[in-house]
Amino acid sequence: MTTIALQVNRRAVEFSAEPRTSLADFVRDKLDLTGTHLGCEHGVCGACTVLLDGVPARSCITYAVACEGADVTTIEGLDEDEVTAELRAAFTREHALQCGYCTPGMLVSARDLVLRLPDADERRIRVGLSGNLCRCTGYVGVVRAVQSVIEARRARNIAPQADGGRTSLGPVGSGRATSSPNEPRLVPQALAPASEGAAPAKIPDFTPATVLDQRFTLAHAPAKVFAMFDDIAAIAACLPGVSLTAPPRPERVEGMIRVRLGPIAAAFEGAARIARDPATLSGRIVGIGTDQRSHSATQGEIRYQLVPLEGGAATAVELSIGYTLTGMLAQFGRPGLVRDLARRLIAEFAGNLDRHMSGAPSGQAVELSVWSIASDVLRARLARMFGRVFTGKGGAE
Amino acid sequence: MKPAPFSYERPRDLDAALSMLAANSASAKIIAGGQSLGPMLNLRLVQPELIVDISGLAELKRAEVVGNELVLGALVTHADIEDGRTADVTRGAMRGVAANIAYRAVRNRGTIGGSLSHADPAADWISALAALGARVTLRSLAGARTLAVDAFVLGALESALHPGEIVEAIHVPARAASAHWGYAKSCRKTGEFAHAIGAVLINPAAASARVVIGAIDTTPIVVTDAAELFGGRIAADYKQRFDVRVADALLVGAGIDDAAQRHIHVSVLKRAVLEAAA
Repeated sequence: MTTIALQVNRRAVEFSAEPRTSLADFVRDKLDLTGTHLGCEHGVCGACTVLLDGVPARSCITYAVACEGADVTTIEGLDEDEVTAELRAAFTREHALQCGYCTPGMLVSARDLVLRLPDADERRIRVGLSGNLCRCTGYVGVVRAVQSVIEARRARNIAPQADGGRTSLGPVGSGRATSSPNEPRLVPQALAPASEGAAPAKIPDFTPATVLDQRFTLAHAPAKVFAMFDDIAAIAACLPGVSLTAPPRPERVEGMIRVRLGPIAAAFEGAARIARDPATLSGRIVGIGTDQRSHSATQGEIRYQLVPLEGGAATAVELSIGYTLTGMLAQFGRPGLVRDLARRLIAEFAGNLDRHMSGAPSGQAVELSVWSIASDVLRARLARMFGRVFTGKGGAE
Repeated sequence: MKPAPFSYERPRDLDAALSMLAANSASAKIIAGGQSLGPMLNLRLVQPELIVDISGLAELKRAEVVGNELVLGALVTHADIEDGRTADVTRGAMRGVAANIAYRAVRNRGTIGGSLSHADPAADWISALAALGARVTLRSLAGARTLAVDAFVLGALESALHPGEIVEAIHVPARAASAHWGYAKSCRKTGEFAHAIGAVLINPAAASARVVIGAIDTTPIVVTDAAELFGGRIAADYKQRFDVRVADALLVGAGIDDAAQRHIHVSVLKRAVLEAAA
């Protein structure tokens, strides 16, 4: 718990709250100012919009602790505000609300438009309100209401406030807090329970939600590559982020894969079953794993096919990678970014494989190398050069 | 939809912030405006043990013209640029980009340094600043280094930042009086993530151009020797000479296999070229 002191609706308040408490939860739960509504809680719907140092901000993705010393105005603090009074009358007149859930945030954003954009036409008003979702009105009444207030004020020659009255630089709400007194004290986090025999006995078939196809080439004969693919420990050592948790058998492997996409990190622990067909130089690996920290699970499938190149002197490795995510991590709705990560990891895998098969030491390639794939410009250039060899293909999402 | 618990520290200055980061690099995250990290924390996609809040650091809130370039501290917000609270050496280019980032409530807290650090391919600054030829200064306890913005972004959400290092400042070169600027993006809904970005800085008088095709789910395509995109030379008639086939080939080379996606990127780039020529 941290003591947080700030001004809310011109009143100095001080309450203790956890650092993870959003400004919205702070005003709702500590101050009973429940006019600030929470919709999406990730900055998209705009229902939680309040004035922070006099201008609009999302109170769901702004933490109260970061607003120490700031000046907060919620919808309750706008009762006497001249512009908001005009907007309220216009919203009533134009039927600009039905259920009213979006209205507090809508009024805060509309007030800002009225102050800043005295010449706004319908299009600019619509763009200006695009960060406030309304599921009832179809926006027609809202836009008319805002437009009527803007026109009325223009007719009265009221000067705009182009910058919303702001003069200092930096995030609104910041800059008036004192710094932490001491060195950081880490609050020990409750560790996720140890995986209870993480490796599942049965690995079911599944239909992947996302499939990506990748291809790379190796300067080794297909038979040699196929034999290499049977050396599970060596393959695992070449796979970025993969470590084995039990001695592998030819048809089953248990282990962990660590993946990181920007600030998102996961360690999936589980097992995979392996099938190979020497006649067609192809194989299939189906796995299942869970990440304890994020309470997420994944099922994955890798199909590979080796195609002889240059009269059998070289091999094209054609990969089809499918996966399905469930749990917290499945909320990350950006398959394109995951595809880019997969491309980088496979480039890394191919490089490690090539070094291993050419007899170069690949020990240092394990795990750390993925995380430092982005470590400096030189590596980036290499990656780009390397990238030209690959043709990535995204499948269905 | 509430973040996992985290510890929170507000360092007194940049050095203190860097020390905290260095001491906890595996488990700490820097937060500035929090407009990208906040949603990820709330969705529990990210669960750091320590949040180091740099939003109050005055030394990162400067904006000054030094010689022929504008130096922006990492904490300058999109709204600061949109409203003209910072000097503009790009003759309106940066103001126009800033004004169309997400929504006003987000622009009031979202920072230029945070946006770069997050390295989301769909974000505006990584493409716009690459086209403007900007550089970024990174600082750690070991010192500072400066990179071109196009060398800073290495992939989706992947930047050149080392552990313990943060974006300190952005250096934007003055836009030449004869240089034309065009910026276009395609979003399914206003303010949402872009699905295509085109940014062009074309100087017909100097026969030079920087062309960026962004929001391609990875590092933007940055073309510094862009004559080929304009039929071999960059001159006053570049608008007529813009060659969509060359742009398409660039996208194929970057691994964009879907013809419809390429069409969107090429169309958006063409809009940027037409805007520059207008």
